Amino acid sequence: MEDYKYLFKVVLIGNAGVGKTCLVRRFTQGLFPPGQGATIGVDFMISTVEIDGVKVKLQIWDTAGQERFRSITQSYYRSANALILVYDISCQPSFDCLPQWINEMDMYASTKVITYLVGNKSDRVNQREIPAHIAERFAQQQDMRFLETSAKEADNVKRLFLEIAKELTQQARDNEICSQYSSASDLGATDTSPVGNFSCCKGF
Amino acid sequence: MAATSDSRRSNLQQLTTLEDIQKGLQNLCKEEARVNEELVVLLKQQPDMCCLNSMVPNLQMINNDAAQLAGMISFTSTLAENISSKVRQLDLAKSRVTVCMQRVEDVWDLKYCTDGVQTALQDEDYEKAAAHIHRFLSLDENVLRMSADASEGSTLDTSFKLLHEAQNKLQMIVHRQFDAAVHCGDVASVERFFKIFPLIGQHKEGLAKFSKYLCAQLSDMADKNMKTALSTCAGDKRANVIFADTLTLLFEGIARVVEIHQPLVETYYGPGRMFTMMQHLQKECDRQSRKILDHFRNQRNLEMKLQQVEQSLYQRTLSSTEKIEPKELDPLMAEVTLLNARAELYTRFVRRRIMNDLEVATQNEDAKAANKEEVDKLITTCELSRQMQELIGNYIMMEEYFMHEMVTKAVSLDLIDESALTSSMVDDAFFIVKKCVRRALSSSSIDGVCAMLNHACSILEQDFQEVLYARLRQGMPSGFDFSQAYNLVQSSLQFGKLQSSDDETQKQKTAFLTTLNNADVSCEYIQTLKKSLEDDTAKMYGHVNDQGSAKLQSCLSDLGAVSTRFTDVLEFGFSQFNSGVLKPRLRPWLDAFLSVDHNITEDDFSNYEANDPWVQTFIVNIDNFLITFKSSLTSGNYDSLIRHLSNEITTRLEKNVMKTTFNRLGGLQFDKELRSLVGYLTSVTTWTIRDRFARLTQMATILNLERVSEMLDYWGPNSGPLTWRLTPAEVRQVLSLRLVLSSCCFTVSPCALIGRRQLLLYGVGLILFLPAPSLVGDNFSSMGWG
Ligand SMILES: Nc1nc2c(ncn2[C@@H]2O[C@H](COP(=O)(O)OP(=O)(O)OP(=O)(O)O)[C@@H](O)[C@H]2O)c(=O)[nH]1
Ligand SMILES: [Mg+2]
Repeated sequence: MEDYKYLFKVVLIGNAGVGKTCLVRRFTQGLFPPGQGATIGVDFMISTVEIDGVKVKLQIWDTAGQERFRSITQSYYRSANALILVYDISCQPSFDCLPQWINEMDMYASTKVITYLVGNKSDRVNQREIPAHIAERFAQQQDMRFLETSAKEADNVKRLFLEIAKELTQQARDNEICSQYSSASDLGATDTSPVGNFSCCKGF
Repeated sequence: MAATSDSRRSNLQQLTTLEDIQKGLQNLCKEEARVNEELVVLLKQQPDMCCLNSMVPNLQMINNDAAQLAGMISFTSTLAENISSKVRQLDLAKSRVTVCMQRVEDVWDLKYCTDGVQTALQDEDYEKAAAHIHRFLSLDENVLRMSADASEGSTLDTSFKLLHEAQNKLQMIVHRQFDAAVHCGDVASVERFFKIFPLIGQHKEGLAKFSKYLCAQLSDMADKNMKTALSTCAGDKRANVIFADTLTLLFEGIARVVEIHQPLVETYYGPGRMFTMMQHLQKECDRQSRKILDHFRNQRNLEMKLQQVEQSLYQRTLSSTEKIEPKELDPLMAEVTLLNARAELYTRFVRRRIMNDLEVATQNEDAKAANKEEVDKLITTCELSRQMQELIGNYIMMEEYFMHEMVTKAVSLDLIDESALTSSMVDDAFFIVKKCVRRALSSSSIDGVCAMLNHACSILEQDFQEVLYARLRQGMPSGFDFSQAYNLVQSSLQFGKLQSSDDETQKQKTAFLTTLNNADVSCEYIQTLKKSLEDDTAKMYGHVNDQGSAKLQSCLSDLGAVSTRFTDVLEFGFSQFNSGVLKPRLRPWLDAFLSVDHNITEDDFSNYEANDPWVQTFIVNIDNFLITFKSSLTSGNYDSLIRHLSNEITTRLEKNVMKTTFNRLGGLQFDKELRSLVGYLTSVTTWTIRDRFARLTQMATILNLERVSEMLDYWGPNSGPLTWRLTPAEVRQVLSLRLVLSSCCFTVSPCALIGRRQLLLYGVGLILFLPAPSLVGDNFSSMGWG
C-alpha cells in the first residue's frame, strides 16, 4: 500500500466560491461536480502521481474559504510543502483579497513553501474581470508561480498539480544529496551546526 | 501390414550376426503370442455380432411405430393450442367482469360515502367523515366518470359535487378546530385533528400546523429556561457553563418532543415524514439557540476577549502585561467546547432520526443517496451549525494563544532541580499541550481537534525544541572533569575564596546534561501523547466517517513525526558533547596504549600479569568518567553516551594498534586487554558492545596466530559463521604487525587456483592463500621477504 517515495502536503486557499473544491475534485476524481456546496472546515484527499518513474503521494488539503473557518485553515499552512492561492478571474473581489491571503501566508507558512497563484474559471471568457497579464505581474511581484485554470473545462488542472509534484520531488532530491554531503563532512568536524528544523518532506 | 512384413523381410537381410538373429527370433515369438491373444478376444465377441444380425427386421418395425407416434403428438398439440386460446379469452372476460364489479362497487361506495359524509358532518363525527373522504379520494374520479353516465345533473355527477363540497368543508372545519384546540391548550383535540389531516390528503398542512404548535411549546420552554439562566447567581456551581446547560435543555426538549410524537407521525402519516417535521423544528431550534448564544457572547464578553487575544497573538511587540492573561480564557474555552459537544450530540440525534425514517420509506439506492445529501445539507447549513462553526473558530484562536503563551511561560520559568534528570519545562510544556489537545477533543469537533494538533506540532517545534537547540549550542564546558573540579575547589578553599567561574562551569554542565535529558524525554513524551490521543480519538470519535478519521489520522501522525525533530536535537547534542568532552578526555588514556611494549618475553608477559601496564588504569579512568554521568543522564542518554564512547575507543584504539608491533606474546597480551575492556563495557550497558568491537577482536585474533597458515582456518571458505569486518588489505596490514610472522616466508602461490589441501600436500607450509582474486594481483612482497 505505502509504496511511495515521497509524500507532500498541498494546501489550497482563497476566497469562498472561487472553485478550490472543484479544482481538487477535477484532479483527483476527474469530474466537475454539479451544485458543489461550500466546504465546511477542511477536506482531505490523497492522490498518487508518478514523476520520472517515482511514486509521489500528494496529500491535498482543501480549505474552506468562508471567514469563520479561518483559524482552522490557518493551522495547516505551516506543514504545507505547497500552497495554492486561488482567485476567480470573473470576480474582482476575489482578486482584491489576495494581499490579505498573502499576509496570512507570510505569517504562518514555512519559508521554504512553494506558492502558486491560480486564476480559476478561465472558461468564463465573457465575464472575465481580471486580465491575465495583471495577475501575472502581481504573481511575479509576490514571487509566486502563476497559472490560469478551469475546473469546468479541465484546463491546466492536471498541469498545476503535476508541476507542483515535480518541483517538490526535485527539491527533495536536492535535499537528499545535500544532507548526504553534509553528513559525510560531519565526520570529524568539531562544531556541527544543527540541521534546519524545516519539516522533512520524505515519506514517513 | 504388408508394409511392415516387407520391411521386416528387408530387416531380415540385415540380421547378420547370431546375436541379432536370436534377438529377432525372440521378438517374433513375443509378437506371435500377442496376436494369439488378440484372436482369442475377437472370437469371444463373435456371438454378439450374430445377435445384431437378427435384430435388423425389428428395427424396421420400430421406425414405423415412431412415425405414427409423431403424427399423434402433432395432432394433440394443435388441439391443446386451440383449447388454451379459448382459456385465454375466458380469462380476459373474467378479469373484465371483475373490473366491472369493482366499478359497480366503487359507484356504490361513492353513493354510500356521499350519504355517509353528510350525516357524519351533521353529527360532527369528523373521523367518520374523514374516513368517507379518504375512501372517496382513493377512487379514480376520471375512470368512474367515463364508465358511467356522468353528464351534468346525473346522480354520479351530483355525488362528486357533494363529496368535493364535503371535502372542502371538512378541511375548513379541521383547520379551524385544530387552531381552536391549540388556542385553548386542549392537547387531546390537537392530537385528534392532527390525525385527521392525512385522511383528507392534507399531510403537509397537518405536519406544518402540528410542528408550529410544537415549536410554540419549545419556545415557551426556552424562554423559561433562559430566565432561569440569566438569574443564576455568579456563585452557582453551574454558573460557568450555564449557557451550555441552557442549550442542552433546549436540545433535550426537542429530543423529547421527537420521542413522543414520532410514533404518532409514523402511524398516521406513514414513514418518510420525519424529515419534513424536523425541518420545521430545526427552524425553532435555530431561533432559540441563536438567542442563547447571543446571551452567551454578551455575558461572557466574548467579542472583547477575542479582540484582546487577536492583538496579543499578532502584535508580538506587546508586553506581557498588555497581553490578555491566558488563564482568564480557561472557563470560556471550557464552555465553548461543551456548547459544541452538545450541539454535535444533538445534530447526530437529528440525523439518525431522519435517516432511520427515510430508510424505511425509500428503497431505491439513488434516492437514498439523494436523501442523505439533503439531510447533510440541512444539518451543515442550519443556523445552529453555522453559529457553532463560528464559535469553534473563535475557540481555536483562543486555544492556540493559550497553548503558545503557557508553553513559552513554562520555558521561561524553567527550573533545574538537582534531584531530577529533566528540568521543569518538559513536564510543564507537555502537560499544557496535552491539556489543550484534550480540551479540543472534548469539543467533538474534528476540525477543531485537527487544528489543535497542528498547532501543537508548531509550538513543540518552534517554541520548545528551538530552545533546546539553543541551549545545546552553548555547548558543554570542555575539559571538564569532576576530580579536576574537586581539586580546584579544594585549592580555592585553601585560599579562602570559592571561584565563581567553577560554579558557572558546574551550572553550565548541569544545564547541558539536563537539556540532553529533556530532549530524550520529549521524544518519549510525544510518542506517549500520540498513543494516548489515539486511544481517546478511537473512543470518542468512533462514529465519524472515513473522511474525518483520515484527517485525524494524518494530523496525529504529524504529531508523532515531531519526535524525530527531538532525535535530531539529541544527535546534535551528542556531537557537541563528543567534540567538547569525550574526545579530549579519552585521547590521552587511549594513547597510553602506545607506550606499552607488545614485543615481549615470557618474563615480561608474567610481569604484566602482576602489574597491568595499561588496560586496568584505562578501565578505572573510563569507569570514573562514566560514574560522573550515570546519575545525571536518562538511561537512554547514558546508553547513547556509552555508544559514543565505544565508537571513540574503537576508532582510536584501531589506529593505535596499527602503530604498534607485536610478537606472539604481545598478541596474547593485547587479546587479554581487549577481553577485559569488552567485558567491562558489556557490564555497564544494555547495549550490545561486542559487535562494536568486532574489528578489534578480529585484529586480536590475527595478532594471536601461532603460524600464518592458521589464518587459513578463519579466512575464505573456512570462515564459517564468522563475517570479516576487516578488508583483505587490513588483514595483511595487521599480519605485518606481527614481528615473527612477517620475518617468516610469505609467498603467493604461483598456482593460486589449486585448492588449499593440495597446496598443503605440496608441502608449502607457510603459504598464505587468500582466495579473493584481487588479492593475488596485490603486491605481497612488501610484507613478505622484507
Ligand atoms: N464556470 C466555472 N465555474 C466553476 C469553476 N470552478 C468552480 N466553479 C463553480 O464555482 C462555484 C464554487 O465552487 P467551489 O469549488 O465550491 O468553491 P470553493 O472555493 O471550494 O468554495 P469554498 O469551499 O466555500 O471555499 C460552484 O458553483 C462551481 O460550480 C470553473 O472552472 N468554471
Ligand atoms: Mg470548497
